[in-house]
Amino acid sequence: MTALLEVAGLRVIFGALAAVDDVSFSVPNGGIMGLIGPNGAGKTTTIDALCGFLPNAVGSIRLDGVALDGLRAHQRAQAGLGRTFQAVELFDDLSVRENLLVAAIRPRWWSPFVDAVAPRRGTRGVNVDDALGLMDLDDLADARPTELSHGQRQLVGVARALAGRPRLVLLDEPAAGLDPAETALLGRLLASLPAAGVSVLLVDHDMNLMLEVCNEITVLDFGRVIASGPTAAVRADPAVIAAYLGGES
Amino acid sequence: MSDYLQQALTGLGSGAVIAVLAIGLVLTFRASNVINLAHGAMGMYTAYVYFGLRNFDLAGADRGGDLVLPIIGLPTSVHIVDRPTVVTALLISLVVATMLGLVVYGFVFRPLRAAPPLARIVASLGVFLYLQSVMQLRVTADGGGAAALQLTSLLPDGVVHLGNATIPTASFVLAGLAIAVAVGLALVFRFTRFGLATRAAAEHEKGAVLTGLSPDRLGYLNWAIASVLAGLAVIAIAGMSSKLDPIDTSLLVVPALAAALLGGLNGFAATTIAGLAIGMSQSVLSTFQARALWLPDFLPKGSLREALPVILILVAITVRGSHLPTRESIIETRLPASPTPHRVFLWAGILTAAAAVGLLTLDAQWRLAIVVSTIATLIALSSVVLTGYVGQISLAQYAFAGLAAFVTARLAVDGLGFPWAPMLGVAVAVGVGILVGIPAVRVRGMALAIATLGAAVAIEALVFASPTFFGITGVPRPYLFGIDLGFLSTGAENFRAAFGLFALGVLAVSMIAVANLRRSPTGLRWLAVRSNERAAAAAGIDVSNTKLLAFAVSSLLSGLGGALLAYESPALSPQQFLVIGALAILALTYLGGIATLSGALLAGVLASGGIVTRLQGGATGDASSYQFAISGLVLVVVAILYPDGISIALRRGVSRWRRA
Repeated sequence: MTALLEVAGLRVIFGALAAVDDVSFSVPNGGIMGLIGPNGAGKTTTIDALCGFLPNAVGSIRLDGVALDGLRAHQRAQAGLGRTFQAVELFDDLSVRENLLVAAIRPRWWSPFVDAVAPRRGTRGVNVDDALGLMDLDDLADARPTELSHGQRQLVGVARALAGRPRLVLLDEPAAGLDPAETALLGRLLASLPAAGVSVLLVDHDMNLMLEVCNEITVLDFGRVIASGPTAAVRADPAVIAAYLGGES
Repeated sequence: MSDYLQQALTGLGSGAVIAVLAIGLVLTFRASNVINLAHGAMGMYTAYVYFGLRNFDLAGADRGGDLVLPIIGLPTSVHIVDRPTVVTALLISLVVATMLGLVVYGFVFRPLRAAPPLARIVASLGVFLYLQSVMQLRVTADGGGAAALQLTSLLPDGVVHLGNATIPTASFVLAGLAIAVAVGLALVFRFTRFGLATRAAAEHEKGAVLTGLSPDRLGYLNWAIASVLAGLAVIAIAGMSSKLDPIDTSLLVVPALAAALLGGLNGFAATTIAGLAIGMSQSVLSTFQARALWLPDFLPKGSLREALPVILILVAITVRGSHLPTRESIIETRLPASPTPHRVFLWAGILTAAAAVGLLTLDAQWRLAIVVSTIATLIALSSVVLTGYVGQISLAQYAFAGLAAFVTARLAVDGLGFPWAPMLGVAVAVGVGILVGIPAVRVRGMALAIATLGAAVAIEALVFASPTFFGITGVPRPYLFGIDLGFLSTGAENFRAAFGLFALGVLAVSMIAVANLRRSPTGLRWLAVRSNERAAAAAGIDVSNTKLLAFAVSSLLSGLGGALLAYESPALSPQQFLVIGALAILALTYLGGIATLSGALLAGVLASGGIVTRLQGGATGDASSYQFAISGLVLVVVAILYPDGISIALRRGVSRWRRA
């Protein structure tokens, strides 16, 4: 498999602390890459840096061969990089379908003029049903985010990231707060994404989920990559067991 | 050169006043995370108390000692002591200032500690509006006499000679006092438990609890100190400049905000230095502008000095701001609800028809009221778009309307024909609106409110007072396709219905367009940006462009309102577009429901001189002042009780009643 996302020498410094220090890894096209590490290892900071939220991040980020450096957050999203948030962060004023619509529609400069006259035209022909279907949310399309369970909100978050038709989605702890049944469903849904043409970079603390759905895993500790490779190999790596897995098994 | 030195040192005096006001802003900000826009107004009230008490003629029979009361319904003042000495009067004023600080914190900002920034800003606007308009009433009405107060200075009136320069002693004394205040407070904050706890509370409320002092008590203390300092500062500047005025004095908060922002809303030394520097540069700029004959005549006298703090504010917040909020600064905020508008055409049709019937059947005063409400609705609609839909708090909407009005009137008087003059006027408003929006892209919440307040004050100082626009009368009547759309006439014919119908048409089209935008993908993006800028950017929304579009649309709407005003008013005056008017409109819209079309309608109907005023039997100056004062009060109450506004509260009430 060729690499879809290539990260080289990524570094983020907050004050005197290097939250992410010379991190390099790549996500294969059609793969699900896991990013694990203890709290404070720099996982969310890595995601923030990848999608352009940290202007002082340095390093090279290429998506499908195209350099993303210097692009602003929305431009990276438009270039094919979707993401979710730890705190989900749905637009609570909008329905589930509308949450997906804003991510799916790419306005042109004349769109506001059309919208002022014909408000429905902008959404005509925009397909968010695929993204809803991928996350098994067809029945909840018209619900308000505030009416949903936490597990459903997590799925809407992923669906919103998918609605922009990304090449790669960065999922920040989508299983946090989910019960085992919901996590199992999430795992099944995530495993189906590569077949739909979407690769995944997955951050989560649920090791069962990670070991089950990820083809490859990268392990961070104190902002550095301490191991990277196929899931089975990383699982057996003594450094990883010492830093991270050891406490749990 | 030496007179520039003289000006700079003289400016130390007003700089000291700015510094002390700014220190008060820092105190209240650290204690309760609110930038108190009413800070100057609070000092203004205390100054009126002091000069009211001292208002007696040493030779005359009047006894002085009257305490001005800031409460509607109570008498203007009560007599408490005959001929108080300076010390007595000062002590009483400072006790009153302390109480004012305690009351404002206890009743307004303490309940709002956990409220969203919009609610806190609106509440501070409410206090501003209330104090300002109550005092306006007290000063002008029923011979309360405050208009003719003798403003004697507490400070020595000698001069100091430095080379060729002659500098009032008072300037040095004031600067010394300001530095003493700053040093004293810095010591208190450095070495006492109170100071430590306040600093801890500014970081995190729990931090203060850990030091064993309740955040409440800290809040009360800081607010009391800030109020006293504001009182002292305004008493000093009023005595020195012989100028005390409910509106202008309240706006001293603008240069103070500049100093506080330059000091990073933290640290007394930096704030004091910034305040002194602003005072000195303002003083130098006045002289410079008076000398520099090459400056265009367009610039009104003394405008550079007014514009300086505003420029500093804009620079300070732009430099400090960033395009997206950081992970740490995300706080869950409750925003006023914005339900999708339904049956827009039906409602627009019914309301327009009703207003049109009113225009065609009722008398001249009613026609005027309907037109006033129509135009006010348009301007309120601009706040609905910008503040309601996109969450950008702007206090400059009225200034944009004023720009359009003045440009339209000027061009029309100079001979440009009807649709062209207002179109250019509106275009200017849109251009300036986008210009103001550019720094706004980098800031949010409180900081944006301050930036736009600053922009409004700058537009007022640089444009409205300009000789190019001052006192334009005789705007030619507008004709469209040969139909006379003029508003003014004589006798019972005055306030012609034709103009009213035209204004209604503009409003109806605008309402429908705004409703369409709200329901379209553009509106979805607006609400997405309002609810979460980071998530919006991650969803591929260009947050900066989305905000700028909202600035453009909203200044287009207020520009339309302003252009109509150019034809509605017999003579345009800057007084029509003072910042205070913007506060009132925003207040009324917030009351009505800032994120709903009905909010704009309610604001229009309630606007001073509009339909509700007419129902009450017409407005005198007093009645509309009361209206401001009461809307200030109601604003505070609604901000605390119904952060979503009345129309949403009503809607919820109705649906609860239906379910029951």
